[in-house]
Amino acid sequence: MVKNEILILSILTVSILCILIILLSYLIVRKLIENKKRKKIESYEAQISPIIFFMISEASVTTKLPNETPLQLQAIENILGKFSKVLEGKNEKKYLSELATMYLKHEYQRRLKSMRWSTRLNTLYQIEDFNMEDLMYEVYLLLIKKKRISHDEIKLSLRILAQFRYSEILRLLMNQFVHLSEYDFRSILIRLDQEKFDQLILHFHKCLPPLQKAILDVISIKKGWFYLSFVENIFASSAEEIKVRALKAIAEIGYVNQIEPFIELLYSKKWEERMFATKIMGVLKEESTIPRLIELLHDPSWWVRSQAGQAIYQFTNGKEILKLVLATSQDVFAKDMAWEWLNKGV
Amino acid sequence: MSFFHWGDIVTIFVWFIEVYMIFVILFYSVILFISIFQLRKKYKLDIRQAHEDYMDEFNTKPVSIIVPAYNEEVGIVQSVRSLLSVHYPIFEVIVINDGSTDNTLEKMIEHYNMKEIKNVVRNQLKTKPIKEIYQSNGLPNLFLIHKENGGKGDALNVGLNFSHYPYFCSLDGDSILEHDAFLKVMKPIIDSDEEVIASGGSVRIANGCQIQSGHIQSVGISDKPLVVMQIIEYLRAFLMGRIGLSKYNLLLIISGAFGVFSKQWVIAAGGYRVDTVGEDMELVVRLHRLLREKKQKKKIVYVPDPVCWTEVPEDIKFLRRQRRRWHRGLFESLWNHREMTFNPKYGSIGFISFPYFWIVEFFGPIVELSGYIFMILCFFLGGIYIEFSILLFLLSCLYGSVFSMAAVLLEEWSLTKYPRASDILKLFFYSITESIWYRPLTVLWRCEGVLRIVIGDTSWGEMKRKGISK
Repeated sequence: MVKNEILILSILTVSILCILIILLSYLIVRKLIENKKRKKIESYEAQISPIIFFMISEASVTTKLPNETPLQLQAIENILGKFSKVLEGKNEKKYLSELATMYLKHEYQRRLKSMRWSTRLNTLYQIEDFNMEDLMYEVYLLLIKKKRISHDEIKLSLRILAQFRYSEILRLLMNQFVHLSEYDFRSILIRLDQEKFDQLILHFHKCLPPLQKAILDVISIKKGWFYLSFVENIFASSAEEIKVRALKAIAEIGYVNQIEPFIELLYSKKWEERMFATKIMGVLKEESTIPRLIELLHDPSWWVRSQAGQAIYQFTNGKEILKLVLATSQDVFAKDMAWEWLNKGV
Repeated sequence: MSFFHWGDIVTIFVWFIEVYMIFVILFYSVILFISIFQLRKKYKLDIRQAHEDYMDEFNTKPVSIIVPAYNEEVGIVQSVRSLLSVHYPIFEVIVINDGSTDNTLEKMIEHYNMKEIKNVVRNQLKTKPIKEIYQSNGLPNLFLIHKENGGKGDALNVGLNFSHYPYFCSLDGDSILEHDAFLKVMKPIIDSDEEVIASGGSVRIANGCQIQSGHIQSVGISDKPLVVMQIIEYLRAFLMGRIGLSKYNLLLIISGAFGVFSKQWVIAAGGYRVDTVGEDMELVVRLHRLLREKKQKKKIVYVPDPVCWTEVPEDIKFLRRQRRRWHRGLFESLWNHREMTFNPKYGSIGFISFPYFWIVEFFGPIVELSGYIFMILCFFLGGIYIEFSILLFLLSCLYGSVFSMAAVLLEEWSLTKYPRASDILKLFFYSITESIWYRPLTVLWRCEGVLRIVIGDTSWGEMKRKGISK
């Protein structure tokens, strides 16, 4: 019986070993080929890089680049990729986009249909970077038609459609892809143009919480004061988390129509509310709140203490107040925070 | 007259080992296949592109990097420099000098122009007292805390008390981070809207790589057989084991060399334990426990991309100590939370992770050692026993070498971090030899660890660093 087992095991071991060695040979050959290819691509890159630079900077898309082989195409793609990271000018970006469309459009159409997830994803990143609006429809098709599409593809496609001002983007966000995370929504919304964003705000109450939070965050990022009344409304009418987000946006905008409700928040039970209210007082330099701000220097939350320190620091006589706290306060945390703000920028 | 013949005992024993090994081989195979699918998906994905968005300050959560240092004067300045140049929007670096007896403190103060500050630290976790706190002139996000010696766990707790940000990263004093390490490990946390509360990445071996002022210049492989074997071992542990476990939220280890945690949860769990040598594993186990007890659907994940390069022992003496210590750490974590084993309250952690770590990781070396001893005995006894011996040897080849070879190939198939074809050949052929010498050695050391637990020896030897950076 043992002999049988030995036989079976030996066969198993030897065959696995053979398979592994075959795999190894394949990988080694692949590696050698890849290394060789990389060298070739690098030499192409050195050749075409100055030409592409000339075409983009002189706005003359005239010279024909060698693009017969996949390697040459790869070199063009790499060089355009490098430039897209460093170019700033509007016109330069436009020419880059034109070049990319001219040479890579067909290749990208093909790659978007690839079986390999990483190929599709890389292509989407490139389309976004090169701003290839010609491929908008293909991206839309990928998003809508593909079965078992991955989360990353959904997010990226929507981002691209937002960037290309796709007409149905709001419908997609509000009705179809409602289960994205707040972070995902934010990265999409930040790319919407003003008109689309304003439309979305009109439908705020029909959105699910992650999208609502993202909308408020985008207002915070853009410090969009023209949305102030809207945000104040949301703040007054919403509950819990949405309320805090609205408050955060108001603090970022740095202006309020009526200050009283926010002064009350300096006494809120939630540290987030105390923190943002403190921030608002600092920006608005609301002198009547100084005593409360000094009290907040020994708040249990580090974030509130730090914000209180900053708020006081922003007042014209802020430094004197902080020095006084440092000299007279009994509370070590308050002293600590006063010291920290007095020594900021050391 | 006895009821059992020697022959019966031998047969039963062979059966036992055989069943054990087949069980383990099957388990590893399942994990291997899960890993293959996970890794292959990302083949040739342009990681840099994928991480660009996370550099936006608004999207990214700030991180406190805590570096416990005990007698690290050789490498600390370089390590901190590599940390300060890390690609991440907001972070602070907090070096904890855990009562070093060398010049760690002086070197830091001198090199980074540090001035004492009077910060108050909120003692959310109980620790040994702090002596002084320093902040760098010119680099306001670099802090140095000088405290009484209390061990790594205690140093990390001090860092936690002091840290300002909602996430923190624990880091060994002498590791080199990849440029975008934080973006890589923070991605799952941000993507999941903070459902992920801890995240770790692959640790690779720095010995043999070209390192200059805290950065990897080129990846290479050391000429020392012991180091090559450790490279293979790390590949196997990270690429095979952790990807598979992480997929189902079964991960019990986030390497102490590099991991990001949510501060709020770690403090809720009580911080690091100071009386264990495996404080990193113990913390992850405790976090899992807390999550299950509070019925929270939070996750602990692992990112296959290499994030951190660390120096491993090149000397057999230090390697032996390290393995003994690791095994002891493993035991302490499992033993402290032994009631989780097969406890329905802890779900898959109790029914899969714990049994796996007990049976495969902890008792594995004991079974293997008895197998080796038995093999040698059988060889001398001759006859049918030689056949037993061959049988066991074949099984241990399958068990040891084959999975290591597969791990090496998996690396080349998916991540391709080693630039030269000769590197892969070297790794592959070394891994064939694993079951002949390296594996028996580590088994022996881990059994020594068990022996020390049994006799109650608590000393745990330090690792000697020679400094890996030029």
